[in-house]
Amino acid sequence: MPGSGTAPPPAAAPALRPPRHRVDPRARRWWTVRALLTVGGPVLLTAVALALCALLFFPGALPWLGPLLVALVVPALLHLVLMPRVRYAVHAWELGGRAVYASDGWYRQRRRIAPLSRVQTVDTVRGPLERRFGLATVTVTTASTAGDIRIRGLSEAGAEELSRRIGAAAQLILGDTA
Amino acid sequence: MTDTTRRAPGGGWRRTHPRTLLVHATWPLPPLASLGAAAVLTGGRIPPGTWITLAALTVSFAVVTAVGAVRWARTEFRVTGAALEVRTGAWTRRLRTVPLDRIRTVDLTATPLHRVLRLAALRAGTAGEGSGVPTLDALPVAEARQVRDALLARATPGAVADDPVLARFSPRWLRYAPLTFWVVGGVLIAAGTVHRVLHGMGVDLWELGVVRRAFAAFGTVSPWLTVPAALLVLLAAGAVGAVALYAENWWGHRLEWADGSTLRVRRGLFTTRTVTIDRARLRGVLLREPLLLRAGGGAAVRAVAGGLGDRDENRARSGLLPPAPRALAVRVAGGALGAPFPDPPLPDRGAPTALTRPPRAALRRRRLRGLCWVTLPGTAVLAGGAAACTPALLVWAGAYAVVSAAAVEWAAREAYRALGYGLCGGHLVVRSGVFGRDTLALERSAVAAWTFSSTPFGRRAGLVTLTAAFAAGEGRHRIPDLAAARAPGFAAGAAPGIVEEFLVGAAESGRR
Repeated sequence: MPGSGTAPPPAAAPALRPPRHRVDPRARRWWTVRALLTVGGPVLLTAVALALCALLFFPGALPWLGPLLVALVVPALLHLVLMPRVRYAVHAWELGGRAVYASDGWYRQRRRIAPLSRVQTVDTVRGPLERRFGLATVTVTTASTAGDIRIRGLSEAGAEELSRRIGAAAQLILGDTA
Repeated sequence: MTDTTRRAPGGGWRRTHPRTLLVHATWPLPPLASLGAAAVLTGGRIPPGTWITLAALTVSFAVVTAVGAVRWARTEFRVTGAALEVRTGAWTRRLRTVPLDRIRTVDLTATPLHRVLRLAALRAGTAGEGSGVPTLDALPVAEARQVRDALLARATPGAVADDPVLARFSPRWLRYAPLTFWVVGGVLIAAGTVHRVLHGMGVDLWELGVVRRAFAAFGTVSPWLTVPAALLVLLAAGAVGAVALYAENWWGHRLEWADGSTLRVRRGLFTTRTVTIDRARLRGVLLREPLLLRAGGGAAVRAVAGGLGDRDENRARSGLLPPAPRALAVRVAGGALGAPFPDPPLPDRGAPTALTRPPRAALRRRRLRGLCWVTLPGTAVLAGGAAACTPALLVWAGAYAVVSAAAVEWAAREAYRALGYGLCGGHLVVRSGVFGRDTLALERSAVAAWTFSSTPFGRRAGLVTLTAAFAAGEGRHRIPDLAAARAPGFAAGAAPGIVEEFLVGAAESGRR
């Protein structure tokens, strides 16, 4: 296509490297339990209940109900097993000299970078489930909600330390009120 | 204007105008009217429930009016040399002081009722979202203008440009009003509302003799005649509604630089509103070309500015130009931007495009997405129906598959054709969309954060979506489906100082 910019990228195209620090390994168990509570558990329970009902009262329904249940249970199990692993491989964070950088997600993966000069507040949040596993979430807010960075699955001590360091680093950089 | 009743004691404190109380005393009229209409429609029989409603209405009217009167009497404001001060509260007195140099926008709004009483409500906006500066509702129009000028006097030193007026309303623009899919949706919503209101008044539309006879007559005529006729009526009603709405919102529109640093939009037929935007808060403009409007050669312009309020308020207040001829829209966008609006030509228009296009994988992705979400489900349902009930449906399944696949192919190509991103002077330029095509020109320094996001399919195709976050307008804008290898370099070049320290590989691959 003439005149269009679809040419292969120049040889010197820089790449974005992943953030340096992984989250706490306990986050895997947290994500598994959360998945069990929100998606996997309810689906599995429903499937078991339906299968039992069919076995006891309507054996005739099994030929069409069986495949349906398999189609329900297999994705739920996959989610339960794969999601925490993928998340643990993806989730990472880094505090650079001028910006905060974090990556998260499992299916849709995101890498977000916000300069320290735009940081407005640093919050540390511990949900009830997170507390069980000794984990915490650090949220760095900027003037735009699309620029907020959330780092989940940190150890409690690590979260304190990180939010303190981000706060200190943001103090050093001249604030930008835009 | 300066009648003594409105002078609160001492210190230049003023109240809003007493006629305001009249404005706020008219809310029982619609329920009263609907009760009256119900009485007429049901032939004078007034059900016992109505008396209870009337009593409740009277009591709440008395209470609300009393509260309103007290609140009016206890609300005072003044403009000092440095600040706008507003005192409110019957029991707890609250003084809010807004420094004049923090005031970014001042709106004057007048509903038809306000205009009959020659009043206008004044709302000052500061940089923070939902900053809670009380609306002064309402002042006599002349006084409102005077207060507005006093509020903006501090924020606006600067010279007026050569021709400060960027656009003036022309009734010919009304022809762009029906060019929206809301023509159909709007009629259905209006019909639903009317039905619900009538039902609430105890009138059932389907029970009325007129409606019944019309339906009986409708049934006896061939559907090949009635269906197109009904569609035509629907479209005509929608078009009339759209034109009326356009006129109400945009009649008398005038966009101008009030002075060197304040952009002012004035518009409205019955309800008039004036929105002023501080130049320092105007971070970019958005050229909007939804499908039908684009087909009709029109476009609309929105401001991307801070201090316009939350998402809904921003939508209501950021309009700079309604659907209007495209050439004018581009000119107005440039005028608001203070630089020629980069209107990159589409790739197949001969001229070399200034925008970088995503790789062909983006086209394949759009095509596949359309086939999966539009063609596949419909065809599967129809084919399933054919297998289960009647083979005659098989023809329909085939027809649907062919037609929808063709439509998907067209939409995918159209979407891919528009995709592009680039830098133009101090601005980041992004174009995307097929049903709603937007071209954004945003100050590069406004970008506050970058987000790179991808799905498994996108990663395999080597695509990534880049999202710019900024503290203005909707707060974010997506650049869909860049080549993954180019995205970091582009982000670094577009808004320096954000991603650089996390980049690797430029030096090594450069040496190779």
